This record gives sequence, structure tokens and C-alpha cells, in this order.
Amino acid sequence: MATIARDVVASSKTARAAARPTLRQMIAERDRLTAETGHYCGVTELTLRDADPIKYERFYAKLHSAVLAARESARFVAASPGSREMGECLWGIATPEGDTLAVSLGFLSHTVIFPVSVRYMAEHDYDVNDGIDDGDVYAVSDGLTGGVPHPGDFYSFVPICVDGEIVAWAIGINHLMENGAPVAGSWATFAVDTFMDGLVCPPMRTGRNLKQESWWRAIWERRTRAATMNILDDKMRLAGCAMVHAATHALIEEFGIDYYKRAIREVIEESRRMVVDNMRDTMVPGTYNGCAFRLVKYKGLQHVWSHADKNTLIHVRGSIEPNEKGLMLDAEGSSKWGYHSYNATPGGVDCAVFLGMINSFSHNTKVTAGIDLAVQRHYPKGSIYNPDNEFTSNANLWAQTVALNSIGFGAVSRAMFARGYLEEAFTVDGNWGAFQGQGTTDDGTTYGFTNFEWLGGTGRGAWCYKDGEPLVWAAWSQMATIGDAEEFESTIPPLFYLGRKLLPGYFGYGKYRGGPGNSAVHWCVQPGKHIGLTRPNGGLSCTPSVGLGMSGAYPGPGSFMISARDTNLDALIAEGETPRDARELLEMVDDGRLTVDNLEIWKTDCPELALKNNDLFVDAAGSSGGWGDPLDRDPLAVIADLNDGTCPNYDFVHAMHGVVAMQDGAGQWQLDREATLAKRADLRRQRLAESIPAEQWWREERRAVEARDFVPEVTEMYGQSLSFPKFRDEFTRFWQLPADFSCGEE
Amino acid sequence: MSNDYAVSRELIGQLVDGTIDQDNTERLLKMPRKDKARFFNYIAVLQERVQWPQRILLRIGDHLYIVAKAQGERVVKCDCGHEFGDYRHNWKLGCRIRSRKTLEAMSQVFDPAPAVPEPGWQEVREFFCPECATQHAVEVVAPGYPVVMELLPDLDKFYREYLGQPLADESPEWYQDRTPEVTARWV
Repeated sequence: MATIARDVVASSKTARAAARPTLRQMIAERDRLTAETGHYCGVTELTLRDADPIKYERFYAKLHSAVLAARESARFVAASPGSREMGECLWGIATPEGDTLAVSLGFLSHTVIFPVSVRYMAEHDYDVNDGIDDGDVYAVSDGLTGGVPHPGDFYSFVPICVDGEIVAWAIGINHLMENGAPVAGSWATFAVDTFMDGLVCPPMRTGRNLKQESWWRAIWERRTRAATMNILDDKMRLAGCAMVHAATHALIEEFGIDYYKRAIREVIEESRRMVVDNMRDTMVPGTYNGCAFRLVKYKGLQHVWSHADKNTLIHVRGSIEPNEKGLMLDAEGSSKWGYHSYNATPGGVDCAVFLGMINSFSHNTKVTAGIDLAVQRHYPKGSIYNPDNEFTSNANLWAQTVALNSIGFGAVSRAMFARGYLEEAFTVDGNWGAFQGQGTTDDGTTYGFTNFEWLGGTGRGAWCYKDGEPLVWAAWSQMATIGDAEEFESTIPPLFYLGRKLLPGYFGYGKYRGGPGNSAVHWCVQPGKHIGLTRPNGGLSCTPSVGLGMSGAYPGPGSFMISARDTNLDALIAEGETPRDARELLEMVDDGRLTVDNLEIWKTDCPELALKNNDLFVDAAGSSGGWGDPLDRDPLAVIADLNDGTCPNYDFVHAMHGVVAMQDGAGQWQLDREATLAKRADLRRQRLAESIPAEQWWREERRAVEARDFVPEVTEMYGQSLSFPKFRDEFTRFWQLPADFSCGEE
Repeated sequence: MSNDYAVSRELIGQLVDGTIDQDNTERLLKMPRKDKARFFNYIAVLQERVQWPQRILLRIGDHLYIVAKAQGERVVKCDCGHEFGDYRHNWKLGCRIRSRKTLEAMSQVFDPAPAVPEPGWQEVREFFCPECATQHAVEVVAPGYPVVMELLPDLDKFYREYLGQPLADESPEWYQDRTPEVTARWV
């Protein structure tokens, strides 16, 4: 009997499905109409808006308030600090095809993955076999099929159906505290392929009727190390989706399904037009180029996975070209994918590059898929952004894709500067940090964790008219906050803050300096049976996070960390003097106050660091770049930085800015204006004396290029990038080399 | 919303000088749409400040401009008057270049010590005006990396389609990166 009952249900579904287009057909129709007309879904006239703008805006306000309310209510269901206190979550509502209609506050660029997930479900007939019903719950955390930037970000999709027809999706997202990879945390550094990325879910149904099925809880409990927080986060996402689900049904009830179906198309077309207008109003047409580099230092650390036991220098190359439809972002010339955790997928890299695009061009309109339509992307097949291997790891793609975002976002800054909108022009950097790991307490309790603090708030790069600010910038969220220290202390039982502060001198120098980066000293106390941590980062200090300074300034330095194991911390605590940041720690080591048996400075990814009682872990991240020639800096600004401790090293700024000063009896620095003028004149003469004409420089460098006189990582990087015609053409024409010049890879 | 927002040349001058106050900065940042007259007001402010007569077509750096010369050329020009040549050639190749390739050399421009880039994988390039020694650009790139053309503007399109005031010497020849012509002469 049970079998017959299921058959009856199935045939009923089949009959319903036959009467309306499948999801696959709906997506094909959207694509066709949009491509043929250049307008979203063929909407050339905003008839509803123009006929009754008040009704139209009331409709959208209700839609928007639904996702805003979801965030403001549902995140208080959650346990994880990243979602509750920081910007690490988002709710959205999308069309049946997955195109964003409205998003809450939070990390809004994640909207661009919605259509990737829905397209995958459509192309694999999820709605046909065995159907998508109102209130179903789908989990997504896969980059390739779901567009997810990295599996640490987890998505819940809830279809909203009317009379069996999908009319919308409610979607909730947050960054997990731990996602069950071999390397504990939420960015699985050292992953070699997707099988080491942790809990990776292609779109899969995990619940019905707005309720997760029982087995799903077992997944969190058995496949991640922070089940309690992850289960509560799962409830948070679903609670928010349930709110959006209810609000959307009420909205359709109020406005009618016909109005709803037309209005959602107009909303996206309206914002697309606004975005394109904004681009035209603020950009200068042309070609903007940028580059960045990120080292992967696996050599010697991947003995088990011999094919991954190598170093890789990732080349991030981007160009932006405004056009009639909006603008084109081209990543051709970037490295190929590799056996490391830094690969992206097209959806994942979209998630990064739309940070700047949404912030720059959707500020005065509805945040919808309109921006998605206006930004065309080229991620060549085989590149790190579009691997021709479906099993690449993308556990830590943020560590390099954020640099591509900085290149695109930086192009907007260059354009604003050229057009005179100087108030908007600033140096875009993307140097974030975090740490993660796992532990076992004395009573055997295990836990996994991520500390997001230096992801939540970083220094903003210098503006073209003033210094950058510390901590206020997070390209990935509107709400820059580093979270409460106590939250992270409760999340990671053995780690306590000895210091958490801005790191003096840690920024890019220029006429205007970047916002200083941050540093914290974590003290390990009674770690129980074990605590080990690793660190993902937006850029490590062996390379800056972006390759080009702005208008003669230096880009911000990358992040780094220090492990100080086997210390005399007990003695220091007894004396009441402990280090508060990386600089203080190194000074105390240098002058002998802090003794460390095992001191390691990590300018690249560190393998798991196991900590014992009184060991210290120190990190620094969030620096940002300057703007303008350092010799143009107001000498009094240099003096102010010396006196308030922003710049700790007189000799350094004396040589950098040509400022001459002396300390008075109270220890305050006083400017010697005449000597400063003379010093600056000297430094200009020194610049000319120590530099060579570009022609001479080119001849000398060309010899090294011809001889491929590089470290192996650089040679391999060029080998990969030269396999893409656009970069090959640029490279060989610049260096006047044969078109078939190679660096070992074609 | 109307687009009739007005931003005075005085305020634009304060932006250029870095003397604008926080209230005015916020007012500008919060404008729903940018003032369309800004570009030509900006150019007027800049034109008053330079010591040479050529028309500024675009400002591309604190001290760098693309200007129109009487002979029909469009060249990159420094505040000090030095000309870097045709704007289709990367102006960086008209600079003097100082390279920092060692840890010691890079430590003079990055701080603190653990934040200094790694020699071999990266080098710092500083681009100076040959006359006034202004540092116009900094690159931190892999050794052997082609000098980056940061922006090649399509000036004809900008003036005709974006500003509605076409340039007199429009030509399809302008929007081209001709940097390889420079290095070809150096072989």
C-alpha cells in the first residue's frame, strides 16, 4: 500500500509538472530574452513602476524588509560569534531562476552565487525528479555546482511555490566556525583537492516543510568539529528563510501573483539600468590593469601528497574595461589551477569581484541581479578562476580572489580620481587575517574554531586627500567589526588575549598613509590534551596583497604571524609586563625580557602549530596601502604620527618622508622645518642618483628574462601565465621576445 | 531625484589640496548621484594650478596629466613640466627607475621586519620623474614582470559619449597601447 501511495503522489507531481515549464526551461527563456533584448527577461518598459510608482515601491519595500527582518531576528538564534556579532551572514530572496531581488545587510556579494546553484538544480532536473516543493530546504556549500566561494560558507535555499510553481527562493548564508576538513577550521589550508575541503554539499535537499530532516543533524555532529554552533547556525539560516518564505507568500497574497511575476522582472531591470548609468557617470572608458601575487609555500610540508609538495607563486591579473553594457572584468593571464587550496570556481570568484562592484555601483539602487548583468566576466578555462579539473580545492580561494576584487575596485578608484570625484578615490587593499584550529580539553571534549577578528575589520587604504582609517574597512561586509574579544575567548577555551591593538608603522606609506593594520597576542593557558591552529590569510607578507601602489605610494604590507613556544611568560606576568602586539613581542625577545625556545616568524602559511601552556601566538593583518609620493606628506602629519605612536621609528620615517625632528624634554617630537626642506631636496637628488633610465633598466632586466633567471616559483608562474594568449602577447611584446618564448609550460 | 547637485570649485580645490573638512567630505560621499559638472570644474581647478598652458585632458596621478599639445599630440606631462611623450606609450618608460631587490633595500620602505616582501619572489620598483624626481608610481611585482600600464583611457569615447563634448582630433588611432613601440626601439 505504501508503494502505491508514493506512486500516486509521484504521478500527481508529474501531471502538475507537465502543465508548466520546468526550471530548466524557465532559465533558458530568461537567458534568451535577456540576450536578445539586452534587457532583463525582455523587460524594455517598466510598466508597473511607471503606472503606479508608489505601489511598485511599496511592493519592493515589503520584499526588502522581509530579508532585513530575517537577518535582524534570525541571527540571534545562532551561537557563532561570526554570524551574531559580525557581518558574516546574509539573507536574500531570488527569482525562480535564482536572480537576486533583495538582500539583507551582511556579506552581500554572495548574491551572485544564487543563480549558479539554481542553474545546477535546473540542469539536473531537481524539479522533475523528484520535484521541488514549497518549503523544501536545500543545503549548498560546493564551489563548482553551487558557486559557493569556499565550503566554510554555508547556504540554505528554500523554494517558495504557489500552486506548485516555484516563484522565488529564500536564501540564508553564513560562515561556519568549522567545516570538517583535515585542516580544522573554515578555510582548509593545505587542502590538495576538493576531497580535503571539508563538508562540501552540492545542492541537496535536507528538509521539507521548513524543517530539517533528522539525518541532517548527524552530518553536523559527525562531519564537523563544531556541531553545536553549526547546528544552531543551520537553524538560524532556516529561521530567516522561513520568515522570508512567510513574508513572500503574504506579499503575493496582497499584490496578486500576476503583479508579483511582472514586478520581480522590472525590479531587476530597473536596477540594471541604474548600475549601468552609475558606471557611465563615474568611470572613464579605457583599460585599467592591475596585478597581485600570492605565494603558496607547500614544499616540504606535503610529503603524504607528493604531487602537491611544491611551492607556487599565484599570479592574479585583472583588467577592467567599461562598455555599453556596463563593464568587462578580464582575468586572463592569471595563473592556472594547482594542487593547493587557493583555486576558485567562476561562482566563487564572482563572489569576490562583486564586493567592489556592488559597493561602487549599487549604492543608490536596489541590490539585485542587475549588477550581475552589468558586469561581464572572463575567466579563461584552465585558469585558477575556472579550472579544467572538477576536483580542485577551493577551500581558501579568498586568499587570492580578494586581490582580484582589489584590482577591479581599484580601477573604480582610479576612474573616480580621473573624473574629479576625489571624495570616493582611495587605495583598495584586501589584507585580511584569521586563525582556526581544533582542540581537546582535559575531559576529552573536542572543539573546532575560527577566529574571524582580522577579517571583520581591516585598515582602509589612504584616500587621495587624507589618511586611511584603521579597522573600519571590510570589503566583504558593510559592517566592519572585529567582534568581542570575550566571544572568541569563550569559543577557544585555552586562548586568552594579552593584547589586541593597532600595530604601529604597519601600513603602506605615501603622501597619505593607509589605515594601520592590527595585531593580537594570544596566550595559551591550560590547553588540555591538545590545541593546534593554522592561519589562512588574504595575503601573506612574502608579497603585498596588491601589486601596484596608488600615485607613487607603497601598497600595504601583507599579514604575518609569530609563534613563540616555550617561553618565560610566568616570570613576565609576575613582573606585570607582557607583549601586546607583534612589534612588542619581537622587541622583548631582542632585549632578552622574553625568552623563547622556539620562535618562528611566518611570512607564509604555517602548518598546524601545537601550543602548550604559556606559548604565544601573535598575528598581524589588515594593513592597507598609501596614496601619493611620500615626500609630499605634510611634515606635521609625520610628527603627529611619531608623537601618538602610529609611527614608532623615527629613522624609518626620516628616510621615507624626509622629515627632520628632535625630541624635546617631554619626549615630544618637534619639527625642524628648514632641515626638513633640505632633507627632502637631498632625497630627491638621491632618487635620481640611485635610479637609472627606463631604457637601461629594460635592457638589464631583459637579459634576466631571456635567461629565465628567476627562482623556480617565478619561472613556473610565467610558464602558466604565458599559456594564455593575452598575457603572452603583452609579455613578449614588452620584452621584445619571440612570440613562442616560453618558461617551461605551454 | 534631480541631478542638479552643485559642487563649487572651491570645494574641489580643497579636495585636491587635502584640506576639505569632514562635514563636506561626508556631504559629497552621501550625494545620491554625482554632480555631472564635476569633471570640467575639476579640470578648471587643475588648469589654474599648473604652470604650463597645455589643455589638461585627464588627470591620471597626483602630479600627472594627459594634455593636448598644439601640434595635435596627446602627451603625459608632469606638474613640473616634464613631458613623458605620447600617452599611448606607458609613461613609466619615460621615468627613471629604482629597484629594490634585497631584503635590506625593501626594509627601507616596508615595516615592521616580518612584513617586508620576500626577495626573489618580489621586487619593488619606484618610478621617478627625470626632472623633479617625484615618485609617480610604485610596483611590487615578481622579477621580470612587464611594467604595468595602469590606465589607458579611451579619451575620444569619454569626451564624446560620456561628457558630450567631442575632442576636435578624434581618431581610431588614439585608443591603442603602443608601449611595445618604445621597447622595440631599445632592442
